[in-house]
Amino acid sequence: MGTQVDARQVTVRRVMRMSLLAIVGLSFIAPMFGSSVSAATDDGEIVASVTEQKQTDDGVEKIPVAGALVKAVGTAGTAEGTTDSTGKVSLKVPKEGEYEVTLDVASLPKGVEASDESPTTISVNFSSGVTIGTGAKSVNFFVGDAKRAVINRWELLPQTIVNGIKYSLIIAMCAIGLSLIYGTTGLTNFAHGEIVSIAAIVVFWLNQNGPELHVLIAAPFGIAAAALMAGAFERQLWRPLRRRGTSLTSMMIVSIGLAIAIRYVYLFFFGGRNRRYRQYVGDPEIDFGPFGITPRDLGIMIISAVGVVGISMFLLRARLGKAIRAVSDNPDLASATGINTNRIILTVWLVGGALAGIGGVMLGAASGVQWDMGNILLLLMFAAITVGGLGNPFGALLGAFVVGMFTELWTWFFPNVVELKTLGALIALVVILLVRPQGFLGRKERIG
Amino acid sequence: MKWDLILSNSFYTAISANAVAYILVASGLNVHFGYTGLLNFGQAGFAAIGAYSLSIPISRYDWPWPLAVLMVVVSSVILALLLGIPTLRLRADYLAIVTIAVAEIIRLFMNSVRFTWLTGGNDGLQGFTRFMENINPFPDDGITLWAQKVDGYRLWLLVTGWILVALVSTGIWALMRSPWGRVLKSIREDEDAARSLGKNIFAYKMQSLIIGGFVGALGGMWLVLDKQSSQPQDFSTTFTFFAYTIIILGGIARAKGPVIGTMIFLFVIQFVDITLQQATRTTPTDPTPLLPEWIVDENNFSQVRFIVAGLALAILVIVRPQGIFGDKREQAFDVR
Repeated sequence: MGTQVDARQVTVRRVMRMSLLAIVGLSFIAPMFGSSVSAATDDGEIVASVTEQKQTDDGVEKIPVAGALVKAVGTAGTAEGTTDSTGKVSLKVPKEGEYEVTLDVASLPKGVEASDESPTTISVNFSSGVTIGTGAKSVNFFVGDAKRAVINRWELLPQTIVNGIKYSLIIAMCAIGLSLIYGTTGLTNFAHGEIVSIAAIVVFWLNQNGPELHVLIAAPFGIAAAALMAGAFERQLWRPLRRRGTSLTSMMIVSIGLAIAIRYVYLFFFGGRNRRYRQYVGDPEIDFGPFGITPRDLGIMIISAVGVVGISMFLLRARLGKAIRAVSDNPDLASATGINTNRIILTVWLVGGALAGIGGVMLGAASGVQWDMGNILLLLMFAAITVGGLGNPFGALLGAFVVGMFTELWTWFFPNVVELKTLGALIALVVILLVRPQGFLGRKERIG
Repeated sequence: MKWDLILSNSFYTAISANAVAYILVASGLNVHFGYTGLLNFGQAGFAAIGAYSLSIPISRYDWPWPLAVLMVVVSSVILALLLGIPTLRLRADYLAIVTIAVAEIIRLFMNSVRFTWLTGGNDGLQGFTRFMENINPFPDDGITLWAQKVDGYRLWLLVTGWILVALVSTGIWALMRSPWGRVLKSIREDEDAARSLGKNIFAYKMQSLIIGGFVGALGGMWLVLDKQSSQPQDFSTTFTFFAYTIIILGGIARAKGPVIGTMIFLFVIQFVDITLQQATRTTPTDPTPLLPEWIVDENNFSQVRFIVAGLALAILVIVRPQGIFGDKREQAFDVR
């Protein structure tokens, strides 16, 4: 009994120490955040365009509508403006929360009428979810009697697919680590999202507040921070708990508690706003015909594709990778063949943390840095590894694509309810579990 | 520092109608996790369904309130069936992931701009509490508990809420003493053994999910009756995890556990929050707060309670998994 209590006290001290470390570490950075909130990240821009569509013999003619009144009403402020001769108006609003952008139908010129099929109110969300694209949000209103839906939707599909691939790759980078950790230790790590966030936050600090490094130079530090955080979790917390024989459910709930605490430490120091790096904001898109892509997004896709292929080759070919898969398959058997299981598990945490860090830095570049960005992504990561088959890293990859594509395709199928786009992925999760409970690549063992 | 205000407010919070809501939500979770060993991470979803099943019919469609309360029962049962049928045959962690996903789906839907006509979106719904105000026997001024003023409506909710808590806790206590409850506990301890005795595990788990979900929905209902507004942000997954913290604090698989756990949890959280609020407050006449601003200031003090709550959950599970007043033989943690 005595030794057990000792072990517990040691573990508690470790939890406290880790939280303290997080607090001390961030408080070191903190004063910088408050003082230099750059103006550029505060102001959001909503560009609304109003287009009249006329059905002619040659197809649909698009005419910009000038003089239409557009209002944006949101939690953080209100703005309104009248469209110019190009049919566009830029509304400057605080970059926070949700806005309802409304086209005032009464302000339309004579002879132009609102369409039954196109909404005159569109919602724009700055703060939550993963937003793809540049800083300004664009909103398009279509008026007139032409059939808009049929024509525009198919034009939008290639762009949607490209967005989906990018989003899937980011989810995959983050989820492979989660899957490897589940495979080797059985732990469902709810604090994985916080590992994703720390990388983005460290890069943000180095980029915007501290030494003002270029994102690409700051990125390795952020990735290292994520890997170190993951490694520290394993060495200081999970390994002692495993040694004590703590059940997996307890460990899962411990990770939930830690995740909440760490997340609010981030909020405490970082604040609630979504902030962007200095570089790669508002770059013009490279035009590929049916779709356009910013250099940043192209970079993100290339890096994560290389990363995903690299980690797959590592798992399939390298000695260490094979050892990881062996531990994941059967820890006891692996240990009996002379594999040092604890060392493999530590490696998994470091590699998984680094991958989550890469994902976090890229997510920060794509949609801004936010205290709960990792937590928002966590549910999608869980969906990905469950759909793909729990514990199988290649399943996580496949699952990430299912989840990422479902999320983006939702915006294509239901352009009116874009804010519910995670719903597509979550519904896919529930349906796939019904049909194939072990996931795509999961082993068909008894799971009930 | 006005300690009498801080302490009286913290004590009041620990017994308020808001506490009643937490007790009910945690009691439902106790039926799932504590007695049956079901890893339900979507209790906030049941609470949200309870809240909106009351507020939508009354605010939007002018239903009489007994019908709306009936709606709470019906919709929580339907949600339990929807969750249970695909997942209760699967391993515990599948239920965890699906329940957390469904709770988020519900919250996202309630928050959606597109369905504002129904759910009120981010602003939520108001004006559904009139039936409770109309039958309130207390004068509007209410009473003063120590230094804390309590208005008549809140006092009415507090009294009726505690009657409800007494009924629910006694009900759960009696159920768990019955042969039915012993089957639930045996499922938690060893599912295969219970199955080999010819018990229909799936049916028992489903009954547990329905009862706990219904109690959780009652909690959600009380939460919005107290706030007089039902808003989606109250039903995030953090709410579920606070309910876990509460049942572990009060003792898992104990009928009085959620009551004790809620009172400790809300007292500590509120005490930390109000003390920091006082310590960081600046007024035009006194611009220097009690605590230096580089440690904590007016803008971020309210985050501290969440950090405390999260750490409390992690440390409690490591140190006393059976809870402060729990019985070590009844810990539900080895569900896998």
